[in-house]
Amino acid sequence: MQFHQYDVVIVGAGGAGMRAALEASSEARTAVISKLYPTRSHTGAAQGGMCAALANVEEDNWEWHTFDTVKGGDYLVDQDAAEIMAKEAIDAVLDLERMGLPFNRTPEGKIDQRRFGGHTRNHGEAAVRRACYAADRTGHMILQTLYQNCVKQDVEFFNEFYVLDLIVDHDLSAGHVPDGEEVNATGVVAYDLATGEIHVFQAKSIVFATGGAGKIFKTTSNAHTLTGDGMALALRRGLPLEDMEFFQFHPTGLAGLGILLSEAARGEGGILRNSNGERFMERYAPTIKDLAPRDIVARSMANEVREGRGAGPNKDYVLLDLTHLEPAHIDAKLPDITEFARTYLGIEPYTEPVPVYPTAHYAMGGIPTNVTAEVLRNSDDVVKGLYAAGEVACVSVHGSNRLGTNSLLDINVFGKRAGRAAAAYAKTAEFKDLPENAAERTIAQLEELRTRPDGERVSDVRKALQETMDANAQVFRTQESLEQCLADIRVLQERYKNVSVQDKGKMFNTDLLEALELGFLLDIAEVTVIAALNRKESRGGHFREDYPDRDDANYMRHTMVYRRPLEGAEGNHESVEADITPDTAFAHVSEFDTYKVVIGSKPVVQTRYEPMERKY
Amino acid sequence: MTATLENSTAGAPSAAGEIPSFDVTIKVRRYLPESSHGDEAYWDEYKLTMYGTDRVLDALHKIKWENDGSLTFRRSCAHGICGSDAMRINGRNRLACKTLLKDLNPNKPITIEPIKGLPVIKDLVVDMEPFFASYREIMPFLITSGNQPSRERIQSAEQRERFDDTTKCILCAACTSSCPVFWTDGQYFGPAAIVNAHRFIFDSRDEGATQRLEVLNDKEGVWRCRTTFNCTEACPRGIEVTKAIQEVKQAMIRRAI
Amino acid sequence: MSTSTIANPRDPYARKRLSRTNTELWAWLFMRVSGVILVVLIFGHLFVNLMVGDGVKAIDFAFVGGKWSSPFWQVWDLLMLWLAMIHGTNGVRTVINDYAEKHATRVVLKSLLTLGFVITVVLGTLVIFTFDSCPPGSPAELLPSFCTAA
Repeated sequence: MQFHQYDVVIVGAGGAGMRAALEASSEARTAVISKLYPTRSHTGAAQGGMCAALANVEEDNWEWHTFDTVKGGDYLVDQDAAEIMAKEAIDAVLDLERMGLPFNRTPEGKIDQRRFGGHTRNHGEAAVRRACYAADRTGHMILQTLYQNCVKQDVEFFNEFYVLDLIVDHDLSAGHVPDGEEVNATGVVAYDLATGEIHVFQAKSIVFATGGAGKIFKTTSNAHTLTGDGMALALRRGLPLEDMEFFQFHPTGLAGLGILLSEAARGEGGILRNSNGERFMERYAPTIKDLAPRDIVARSMANEVREGRGAGPNKDYVLLDLTHLEPAHIDAKLPDITEFARTYLGIEPYTEPVPVYPTAHYAMGGIPTNVTAEVLRNSDDVVKGLYAAGEVACVSVHGSNRLGTNSLLDINVFGKRAGRAAAAYAKTAEFKDLPENAAERTIAQLEELRTRPDGERVSDVRKALQETMDANAQVFRTQESLEQCLADIRVLQERYKNVSVQDKGKMFNTDLLEALELGFLLDIAEVTVIAALNRKESRGGHFREDYPDRDDANYMRHTMVYRRPLEGAEGNHESVEADITPDTAFAHVSEFDTYKVVIGSKPVVQTRYEPMERKY
Repeated sequence: MTATLENSTAGAPSAAGEIPSFDVTIKVRRYLPESSHGDEAYWDEYKLTMYGTDRVLDALHKIKWENDGSLTFRRSCAHGICGSDAMRINGRNRLACKTLLKDLNPNKPITIEPIKGLPVIKDLVVDMEPFFASYREIMPFLITSGNQPSRERIQSAEQRERFDDTTKCILCAACTSSCPVFWTDGQYFGPAAIVNAHRFIFDSRDEGATQRLEVLNDKEGVWRCRTTFNCTEACPRGIEVTKAIQEVKQAMIRRAI
Repeated sequence: MSTSTIANPRDPYARKRLSRTNTELWAWLFMRVSGVILVVLIFGHLFVNLMVGDGVKAIDFAFVGGKWSSPFWQVWDLLMLWLAMIHGTNGVRTVINDYAEKHATRVVLKSLLTLGFVITVVLGTLVIFTFDSCPPGSPAELLPSFCTAA
């Protein structure tokens, strides 16, 4: 076992993690721990662009951007946070340009901008050109540029280190800690994949930037490595997760594969058609048609297929038509995604429409934070020295549905804020002692898993989980399907206890890690479904067929889910309740055999915009 | 519209909508220093039933998930963007997630080896550190002088186009580890480092070209390139790597004369 | 954490040494330039020796002696010798660099190469400049026509 001490430890080296590292490393002794080489992070898969009201090509301002974000999120957005993001977007884009990001240019040599789903002029009049882009590899360029600047600043990386535990000076998991008490994050425990050695990192500030959890679904645009590690660790250590029921399904995944085809394809003029060749989005969103927010487009597509107008031999997808665009235009603006269609489906997008179907894409929910990226342990109290940014966090700027491009914005704006806040806090704070046995739990867990006799296969359990999530908790959800899904997950949680690994070695044991990741996935899927069951309304990415309308009276609040021990029935029952805002709509408790999942809520911050019906 | 629909299902054809399956033999070069094989590499063969839309990565996953959990390889995004799974497939460097099995002649065994020239850690996993060290040496970041502008730097669309090709690099090491010069002793900077230097040398905003050219003028720099075009052929992103290297050479000669 | 050790990150990889000279640049450029010149020199040489007049049948001691008595052909052949030898030697040097994996092997091979280069070039140069077209006591019919039988 090795021991390290840093002022700031950043967990995750994707966009948010590296953006935070750039801020923190110039101010404080910083280490970045990442389970992948930084340039392997899934930020690199983002394609379309990053919105900011630069007004380089047409009139625009950040207030319109804020409005679009709030409306796109179906009013579950914290409006103060959205305003910060839209305002700071401009500097975030300019920062990246100055760092060297090769944006596409206008004829005058300024950063070029294009249309994107849900981004409109003057509160919904028409689509606006707001997305700054670098062909269809904006995310790739952001990731590369941030890594390049980390090289420039000599940021210290621990690559292929898996963080497996978060150390906090109070045990939050039992729910005993009263509101208002100071709780500090003191370190993390990491596993060096190459050697199998355990490393303990003591830190004044810890930033979680571990990304999403798309692998709870079968059809997903997410990487194999996006297994919700950060979220699950927080949940297991007693922190809440916010708005987990809201998962975005990106409309245009390659049918059957889930590989992302950017919204930019529609921004550049691509059209969605059903088997009759009809441009069906005209019926669902008459004003902005194919550029409606993702939840609406995804649902419309699923509905077309459900009503028998799907294309293909099984009528199970719709078509993205680019054939009316000039090949030269496609090559200039969308080279990568057309190559995906060619490589994986053998389809030539110049002449043939591309089969597409919604694919699980982005977790709107995550670890709750305030606008300075500090992690909340209930609706008000922060955990000192603990920050989160990016997809793992829920600020919440995305509400119930994220607008396209706002994720790249989120990582840059809140990554920067997290890095700054973490470094500033580290300058004022002292190291807190770590418990003597800080790594014990992790070591025991690994040892137990490694030596467990032959049992269930990791892949069988994972496959079953992904299949039930796809079948029961996808675009359309009902009480029945969600209950089925939860029952399945409970069975799988039981089976997980018998999961064994074949590779018993210490070096580069990816078999072992897949087993650990499966545990994270199960926990995240479980709270996602429980939160979805509790929200008996339809809003943004969460659509309940049995409750098809938005219910602002009862559900205009963020869901908070907590995991608590079962035995808290008598003595600490009150303190459990004290963590949670009493509200009839958010008073659900799901009991499992060794723990329970408790639902709470947090108010939505409203500043300028009154909730309205969402029409496009 | 409907006429093209019939053709557009090439990935999943046949009236019943069944994807055709076939049997394939995968030969993987194993290296498990902790096992009884010790420091000896050996070949393992697996017979699998795969489908027309499956990629080499799917075959490796099938082996790992259903057959032999100790098979070790890196992978992440699974669609050719992250650069984790460069490996030597039938003697050619490719990304496992971008190579369809049906394109590889499944009648013969498909051989899979780790990329060459970098120390193997386990099975298909190699130590990438020497590769990234070369990358870091060429100063892969924008170098400018003076104050930052208050808005963006101005760059024309043509100036931006000049280095577009080399911005595509995902640092997968397929090019560098396909280079015979790199195989010898691993001292050559390698195509990937030069490509990333090219990306900045030809960026109109950058002022560090001289320093980068100086670095690459090293005896292990661009002059070791023998224009065998292995790198261009290996690049999963279609970057014209050899051309980029030649352009860097030309820039150096222009500077020297 | 009483037994705490502050660990180093993994050992950084280091290139053996950096050379900041233009040697390789000039070597690379020399190969291109000398290549072009050699094409002219060699084909000119072949044309004059093998095709002009009686062609290949005319080559004998007298022919060679006649040529090397002229400063023009002395310079031509000297250039050809030097350029071809440097070009070829540098080419073999890069082959050694590319294919010899051990430093010691490289040193041995390159030493042999240098030795061969020096011997060939010195001998060749000596021959070109010290060649006696009219060795005394030779039969006149074997000598170039300008030799006075003395």
